[in-house]
Amino acid sequence: MANLYQPQLATVTEVVDETVDTRTFRLEFRDEAFARDFTFRAGQFGEYSVFGAGESTFCIASPPTRDGYIECTVKAAGKVTAELRELNAGDTMGFRGPYGNWFPVDEWTGKDIVFIAGGIGLAPVRCVIWNVLDRRDEFGKVTIVYGARSVGDLVYKRELEEWAARDDVTLVTTVDPGGETPEWAGKVGFVTPVVEATAPSAENAVAVLCGPPIVVKLTLPVLAQLGFAPEAVFTTLENRMKCGVGKCGRCNIGPVYVCKDGPVFTAAQLKALPQEF
Amino acid sequence: MSETRFLSREALKALVAELVASHTAVVGPAAAGGPAIPGLEDRQPPTHKGIFGALEYREVHDADELRLGPGMPRLSLKQFFLPQSEDLFSWKQRGADVEITETPTRFNARVILGAKPCDAAALEIVDEVMNWEYADEPWNGRRAASTIFSLACGVEDLHCFCPSVGVTPDSTKGADGLFTPVDGGWLVEASTDKGRAFLEAHAAHFAEPPSDAGEEGAAFRAGALENVSENVKIDAVRVRDWVDGHFEDPFWATLGIRCNGCGACTMVCPTCHCFDIVDEEEGVGRGTRRRCWDTCQASKFTAHASGHNPRGDQIARYRQRITHKFAIYPIKFGEVLCTGCGRCVRTCQMGQNIGEILVAIDAYAQERAGDAAAADAVAVGDEKGEA
Repeated sequence: MANLYQPQLATVTEVVDETVDTRTFRLEFRDEAFARDFTFRAGQFGEYSVFGAGESTFCIASPPTRDGYIECTVKAAGKVTAELRELNAGDTMGFRGPYGNWFPVDEWTGKDIVFIAGGIGLAPVRCVIWNVLDRRDEFGKVTIVYGARSVGDLVYKRELEEWAARDDVTLVTTVDPGGETPEWAGKVGFVTPVVEATAPSAENAVAVLCGPPIVVKLTLPVLAQLGFAPEAVFTTLENRMKCGVGKCGRCNIGPVYVCKDGPVFTAAQLKALPQEF
Repeated sequence: MSETRFLSREALKALVAELVASHTAVVGPAAAGGPAIPGLEDRQPPTHKGIFGALEYREVHDADELRLGPGMPRLSLKQFFLPQSEDLFSWKQRGADVEITETPTRFNARVILGAKPCDAAALEIVDEVMNWEYADEPWNGRRAASTIFSLACGVEDLHCFCPSVGVTPDSTKGADGLFTPVDGGWLVEASTDKGRAFLEAHAAHFAEPPSDAGEEGAAFRAGALENVSENVKIDAVRVRDWVDGHFEDPFWATLGIRCNGCGACTMVCPTCHCFDIVDEEEGVGRGTRRRCWDTCQASKFTAHASGHNPRGDQIARYRQRITHKFAIYPIKFGEVLCTGCGRCVRTCQMGQNIGEILVAIDAYAQERAGDAAAADAVAVGDEKGEA
């Protein structure tokens, strides 16, 4: 019997260059029975591997409402991600998962949803956005505020256009001052003040927030000011992981294991944690 | 405990011979580095694996190699269940395709004789995390394949403190039975069905205990407990509660500042179980993914690829070690992640002493509780004064 650290093999069926250093991979599992039975919830993550380089942890960036494949969006930063970046359609990757908890999307029916993301933080949020849009009738207003350092750093550009064109989605995009191009039609400014200016209503609403630690840290008080209860603000944490299943001992924040108790936390839960993340 | 049996020194030799003949691996404390040289058992030369006179748990082929007496093996039993490096699977690249070869999760039968009770207890404690929702098959497979008899411990030195963390020198926790030294051999009791089955299967080697052996064994065990109970007097629950509630406290800086982050304490620890998973290439396009011991004391243990590190200094990393052992694990699994073996104290070259640290935390917790009570009393007094 294979042990729990042995990954499923998956074929890379599509590669999208998002930015200079970030790519999205679409994966299809080789094992037909595994592929047929595979399910996950928005917010869960996996351990992806390039054989010879090792494993790395990423959220599943595609929504559970799309069958037959999963996607991950990877920024080349370390050893594994640099190797991952070299993979092309037809190549083989390893996958273990899904692991961790998820966004309680089913509990949000009838509510407005505000998505806020910075940089590559849009990857886990994108999974929830499509999950919600694939079930559009069940939810109220959908607002997306997305910012990146520069126009070149915006990921999922095709989808941003698609969301902008929809009349049932309010999309606000922004780039940091100096990151704009002459053609840039979006806002110029950091994510936090743009959220403040957009001022989404907190009434019967939840917020999903993900981005670099500084964006999360600065935006949480703004959401509180706008009237979002800490229990209505959701974020997803990243910590270095190896096993993904609560054993290797490195992702904990005090008593909370990001891999098992997370990665999805409410602002109320974050506040109760030791400030070591 | 079931009925007590007696195993003489001669019978042990026959028992080990029988086990070896039946292809059951026998592991126990023995001179480090290899079989003893006949006639020079106590003068084992230095080897690449150990220093003069050092003990280590290793496979033996003859009972004469076993040292079932005083002496703490250098490393705990952990290595037999979570090896320093173990294969998880192998891969071979075939063009764009990859072929995987599984690593078996079933293991050959193994008997461990003369485990330190603190080392066996550690296995039962680590069982909890290894089965936290997901079953770790390599760990469980080795546990299932092993029958463990602990040896009642006479207590090594001042650094032993098992009773402070809920273990005793004659504990059968994590073991299938216990050997207690008496004149001419050992009293043997089984504490699990596996242990009882072992005694039954090898019944010919076990005899009725000599008439005064029971008293002798009981005296040995009581003496050891009394002896070790003088070391590291703390209230583990009070320590847990203080550690849990004081993540931010200047006290941590006074502990971490002495640590140079080498991680040796975590390697010799019977309960530390943190690991890394790495790919090791063995030629072009082929290799093995392995799980290797890792340490929370290493600076890159938690470092993100972005450069951000949640535990960026040694004070934070030392706090993690203490917090994980004495608060996080007890709260999550109801067990302290320490069995008081004292190896980390004997190993640390910087003089970090976990026993002293526990005593200091307990004293600090009481002092602070006392200060708080005094402050409350003053506040109440002020209110009365105003009224």
